Formats: sequence, structure tokens, C-alpha cells
Amino acid sequence: MNIYHLEHIRQQFRGRVVLDIEQLDIEQGKIYALLGPNGAGKTTLLDILGFLNHPSHGRLYYQGRMVDRRSKNEILTLRRQVVCVDQHPIMFSTSVYKNIEFGLKIRKYPSPERKRIIDEVLALVSLERYRQAPAHRLSGGETQRLALARALALKPQVLLCDEPTASVDSENKTVITGLLKHINEELGTTILATTHDRLQAASLADHTIVLENGKLAATIYENCFSCKVVASQDQSISAIMQANLSLPLVATHAALTGKRGRLCIDPFAVRINQQGHSGQKALILDSTVVLLMQDDEFIRVIVDIGVQIVVLVPVEEYAAINLQIGERVQVTIPPRAITIFPID
Amino acid sequence: MSYFLDSFVAAIALVTSLNPELLTIVTVSLTVSSTSAFFATLFGVPLGFTIAYAQIPGKRVIITLLNTLLALPTVVIGLFVYAFISRRGILGPLELLYTKNAIIFGQFILILPLITALTIAAVSRVDERYRKTARTLGATSLQTALIILREGRFAIAAAIISAFGRVLSEIGISMMLGGNIKGFTRTMTTAMALEYDKGAFTLAVALGLVLMTLSLLINVCFNLIQGKGTK
Repeated sequence: MNIYHLEHIRQQFRGRVVLDIEQLDIEQGKIYALLGPNGAGKTTLLDILGFLNHPSHGRLYYQGRMVDRRSKNEILTLRRQVVCVDQHPIMFSTSVYKNIEFGLKIRKYPSPERKRIIDEVLALVSLERYRQAPAHRLSGGETQRLALARALALKPQVLLCDEPTASVDSENKTVITGLLKHINEELGTTILATTHDRLQAASLADHTIVLENGKLAATIYENCFSCKVVASQDQSISAIMQANLSLPLVATHAALTGKRGRLCIDPFAVRINQQGHSGQKALILDSTVVLLMQDDEFIRVIVDIGVQIVVLVPVEEYAAINLQIGERVQVTIPPRAITIFPID
Repeated sequence: MSYFLDSFVAAIALVTSLNPELLTIVTVSLTVSSTSAFFATLFGVPLGFTIAYAQIPGKRVIITLLNTLLALPTVVIGLFVYAFISRRGILGPLELLYTKNAIIFGQFILILPLITALTIAAVSRVDERYRKTARTLGATSLQTALIILREGRFAIAAAIISAFGRVLSEIGISMMLGGNIKGFTRTMTTAMALEYDKGAFTLAVALGLVLMTLSLLINVCFNLIQGKGTK
């Protein structure tokens, strides 16, 4: 069952379209990773899903019912089922206990019940010893955990996390990732978390949503770079990326000449030390293997072609090419592996 | 030199002996100042909060106007209110002129822009994330507003203290609207001006000492509150 269904959702700020989604379904009880570069519209989408902002256009369905943005009572009721946790959560300038108690008091939980829930969630995030401590004095990781506890105490149907591990150390990152999994498994809470970390998204989420320039993108958010499409004197076109790296493009991208965009290279389509399929004008580049790591049934190979790109090689294929870190290899990028999203 | 020294010694004696005239003047001063500060707080804080918090058209114009009013001299307010409450004024029949209420009314006008402007500044400085957090935790508009007010409480308290200090030390309004009537509308500042005119420094210096002590106490409170707010 879908908990959210979005139709033609568009959000505009001062005439500028920052989010434009034709259709999106979010399944109940699943974890979704929302990937995309800065300014892609991730937080805007979270604010709409959290009923904190109304979209400028379109229809939003929650648990099968269309959300009526004009009904303040309905919005408040829905908002009490969905909690957003910020990238840098802010704590009310009072104790840890009272911070968690705020949402419970609003919902008119009786005092003994509030105490029981607060003790429970504090134990879950291992912050029991800070029960009466001033909440705004906690460290970044502890604050993030407290923000999760504050949200969990309310037993939300949906938890929306804006880059929950972006500003914490690796130890807290593991704790928070584990907590999100635990919440999803034990309480069946639907979780939608934005992240830049493709690896974290893969390990945490059941589904991945990628936003590019406010629109849903059919990429897996690997190897995405800012670029400018330029044409040379001989009419051949190429994408100029960071550090003046020039990547030749096929004629189908000619319409983008002179425009800025985001260039994505499909990591599954790139080949290492192998020829492309016949008939394709594949781009062959010399590169160096920088990093090797296992990612389920793939080996994640990071190669340096002037910028570092990820190549996902199936395990059985990897056995045949057997790469070493530092090894010089030839990378073959077929034209179909390159997608460019223009930036308006 | 000995004249001033003698006046100073006599003034300390007046203060320590709790001279009845001195006490009456101090009481009148504190009564009118605290009453005007109370009413200005009652109107100014919600007004400032609304201007800062709500999406209202012409917000910048209102703030500019309020900031302009901060520089209004007390004698201008005195003159303005006098025009209303004098016998020939619209509020003449209320017979407010030369009463404590007239001083309170004038002082209210003096510090209302101050409290409003400082409340706007205090609320505007409250992190926008508090609003978003309160709303996502399920707070209603009123509950969200109370959270913002709570987070800005130290700066708002400092605004009120600052306004109280302002009215306690003003003279123009008290003189023009109160008339400096002994035992009724004579405040510390008007009494000091009168004593100066008479060339009798003892009571003036004694009142100056009390005023300085009160100012010191106000500043101590101000610093304590500001310190709490920045912790």
C-alpha cells in the first residue's frame, strides 16, 4: 500500500520552479533514500511530505486520501503523523527530557505515560544519562540522536530525515543508521532520508529516489558532475567538467550546446579493459585504479580519469580482469552511459 | 569644594535616614515608571512579536517608523500629549493633566516603540528552525508562537528592563505632564531639576545617588539576563 501518492507536484518560489514531479509513490513501511546534489529539491520535497509547506500545484495523497491544503485541522492532524528531523536539528533551550516531552504534551499524553515513553526512547538512543541535561549543550551526534528520540516518542507513521548522518562522526553515523533500520523493522515506520552518500543509501534503503534539478531522475546518483556543453570548430561537441576535463559527447547532445548541466555516467555501463559493443563510438580513456570494494554482487572500482568515477563490475566479471590498486587500465564509456540534465 | 562635599555628606545622611520626602519622591518615580513599563510591555511585546512573526504587508515601513520614533525627544511627546489632555484638548474632560496618569500615558508613548522595536529584533533573531521543529512536532500556530517567544525570552526581558531604565531617568514628560507637584507628581528627575534651580544641592545629590543605584541595579539585571541568553 502506498502511504504517499504525488501527482504533478510543482513547487515554485518567486516564479522559479524548484520541484517538478510528475508522479511518485511512496510505499508504506519501507525505507527510501532521497539522493541528489545540493539544490536538487530534496528538502523542498521533504517539507511537502511533512505537510510543512503546500505545493504550488498538484495533488498530494496521503494514505489514499487527497490532502486538502485549505483545511487547517486536517493539515495539523496529518502533521502529527509525520515528523521531520533536520540535518542540523535544533533543541529548545531546556532539558533533554522537556524537549522530548513537548510533542507528547501537545498530544495530551498523561504525565506517567509521558515519563514511560521518554525513558524508553532515551534508552533506545543511549542518552539516559543526559535526561536532565540542557539539550542545546549536547554534541552534534548526541543532538542528532536526541532529535530522533524526540521524533520516535511520537510514534510517527512517517519519519523524514534530512541528511541524518551528514554532520556526525563515523561512530554516530553507524548508531543512527542502525536506529533508522530498527525503527523501520520494529515499528513499521516509513522512512525517507536524504543523503549524498550512495553507499549509505544502498545499505539502508529499500528504494532510491534521485532528484536532479527538481525532477525525478532515472540515474542511480553515481558519477554525477557539473559540466558545460561546448562545440569545437570541427562541430564536435564535448562536456567540460571540473579541472577542465573534456569528455567528448555524441551528436545527440548537440541541442545542449552552450548550456550548463549535470553529467551522469552510468557505473554499470562502463567497462574496464574491455572493448565496447560493435557499432558504438565508445569513449576510451586511460585511467588508474584508486579504490576497490565489494558492494553486494558487484565490485565497486573507483578509477581516476581526471575525475574519479565509480565503475560497478559484476563479481564474476571482476574475477576475469582481476584489478590492482594503482594499476593503469583502459576505461570504455559507451555513449548510452552518459546522460546530461540541463540546468535552467 | 567643601560646599559640594558637605552636600554629598548630607545627601548620604538623607538616604540612610530614609527621609520621608525623599521616599515619597522615589515611590512616585518607581510607581509611574513601573506602571508605564508594565502597560508598554503589555502592548509592545505582542505588537512586536506580531510584526516580526506574521507575514504582514509593509513590515519594513512599520519597522522604519518604529526606529524613527525611538529618537523622539521626551519634550516632543510631552507637548503632543499636553495638546490632547489640556483643558482645550480632546481628552480635556478627563482632567488628566498634572496627574500621575498623565505621566504614565506620556511615558507609555515614549517606550512603546522601544519595547516593540526591541521585541521585533529579539524575535527576528530566533532561529527559524525552532518554528519548523515546533510545527513538525505537531504544534498549533499558537503553540509555535509560544515556542518562539520562549526562545526569545532573554532578549525580550532585556528590552523591558531597558525601557524601564529609560522612563525612570526621563524628565521632559514628567515635568510637562506631571507639573512637579510635591507629594503627587514629583519624580526623582523633576525634583532634582527643581533643587538645582533653587541652588539646594543636598536633596538633588541624594536623589542622584538613589537614581544611580537604581540604574546600577537595572544594569546588573540587564547583564544577568543577557548572560543567561547567550549561555
